Amino acid sequence: MRRPAPATVRWGLLAAILLLWELVPATGIVPELFLPSLSKTLTVLVEDHQTYFAALLVTLYEVAFAMLIACGAGIVAGALVGGLTLLRNLLLPVFSSLYAVPIVILYPVFTAWFGVGSQSKIAFAGIYAFFPVMLSTAAGIRTIDPQFILAARSMGATLPQQITRVIIPASVPTVFTGLRLGGALTIIGVVVSEMLTSAAGIGYLVTLNRTILDSPRVFAAILMILVLAVAYYMLARAVERRMVVWQSAGRQQRAAARDSAAGVPAPAAA
Amino acid sequence: MQHVAHVTELHSRPGEAAIEVAHLSHAYASADGDVPALDDISMTVGVGRFVVIVGPSGCGKTSLLMMLAGLRAQREGTILCYGRPIRDPDPQRVGVIFQEASLFPWLTALDNIEFPLSLRGAPREDRRRRTAAMLTLVGLDGFGARYPHELSGGMKQRVSIARGLVQDPPVLLMDEPFAALDEQTRMTMGHELLRIWSATRKTVVFVTHSLTEAVYLADEVLVMSARPGRIIDRIEITLPRPRTYEMMATDVFGRLRDRIWQQIRKAS
Repeated sequence: MRRPAPATVRWGLLAAILLLWELVPATGIVPELFLPSLSKTLTVLVEDHQTYFAALLVTLYEVAFAMLIACGAGIVAGALVGGLTLLRNLLLPVFSSLYAVPIVILYPVFTAWFGVGSQSKIAFAGIYAFFPVMLSTAAGIRTIDPQFILAARSMGATLPQQITRVIIPASVPTVFTGLRLGGALTIIGVVVSEMLTSAAGIGYLVTLNRTILDSPRVFAAILMILVLAVAYYMLARAVERRMVVWQSAGRQQRAAARDSAAGVPAPAAA
Repeated sequence: MQHVAHVTELHSRPGEAAIEVAHLSHAYASADGDVPALDDISMTVGVGRFVVIVGPSGCGKTSLLMMLAGLRAQREGTILCYGRPIRDPDPQRVGVIFQEASLFPWLTALDNIEFPLSLRGAPREDRRRRTAAMLTLVGLDGFGARYPHELSGGMKQRVSIARGLVQDPPVLLMDEPFAALDEQTRMTMGHELLRIWSATRKTVVFVTHSLTEAVYLADEVLVMSARPGRIIDRIEITLPRPRTYEMMATDVFGRLRDRIWQQIRKAS
């Protein structure tokens, strides 16, 4: 007998999980308070679709702005810190140790400064994702093969040409990795901050419904975040694959990427 | 147009020196003081000659080549190329071919070859025409749209050679260009290089640590000592051209190869 393709197995697993989610609560083994069935969760989503849709818009709005801060500033700062020896020696140790600080402890400060509205979420999630994006970009810039620069110089490339024609294209894969990572972390940052102190967004719905022990509504919100994170991940991978066809060991990588895209993606960071 | 006139002049004086190196020395600064790398190198490369530099690992042969290319500055001594000093990279006079890692992986073979021309903003028509001619010269017709990772090691080096030749510099410097290739591909590429060389009549300085490759390719082999690198022998390779694979089995070939080996062994 032939072994089924990995993609088939992954789809099968997803179907099995959804089936269990439906059947286990129905048998009464697990109380509904702990795990409401899939159909109940979906029913709630449909019933309250206006509430959930409004919350999704708030969350998406916050994620978009936070991503702009984290990825924009993170990539620029990472390029500078990775590319300039002086900045690297001065700042990299500082940034690396700041990365180890659980930035969530600063969130109360952020609400004091920016209020309980969207601004504090954007600021928190932006900074939360900034450090990893910056550090991975800085590391990526440093891995550019010095032979590329040498070759460009031998062909008469000026310094601006070395930057635009060699360093920037050579950094594209790193930048995409940064975007993928930064996006996932931004989603985490926004949802966590919404859960802590807020009056809107999907994270707020989780907290609100948990306090009133309305499990189906909690799970409906969780499901939305899950879908959001997975959708982002798949989108980022698809764009990355189109943009970076040449990445070293390109063929195997693309084959592997095809495999994972065909099936259910790996569990998202959220 | 001054540039074109100049190149014509370069080619019109055969028998003259393409490269003249006089009393070149270099040392690297390190925590324990200066580490001498090259010691009083003097050499002359005649126009149209194929000169191979061999020597033990770390003898500074790559450093010497980088200095000839204007990519690295020497501490002492002068390098003249067609009578004018080399201080910065000058792709009009000197083309450089590196080991395989230096093709840009985000560009197709054609775009890689065109890269030096596009840096100068040459007219598009001209660029296309010369790039296509180079692709044909190195025997890669039909592979222009491939990315480097879709090419074999030998094909990648053909692209590198085409990229080094596309600006039509009179001098070509090659830094162990076939070191990463397997033995068979390496032999084929050596043969191909000689074909391209005789079609273009460039002056070539070629660094390698393969003695067979040195004897097979060269008009003249320069042997360098271990660090600090000095030129300890200059061997004229009298084998007739065109060179053939059969020559490798001859006594003359073996004796020349042996002489180089003895020199390197004495020096390291």
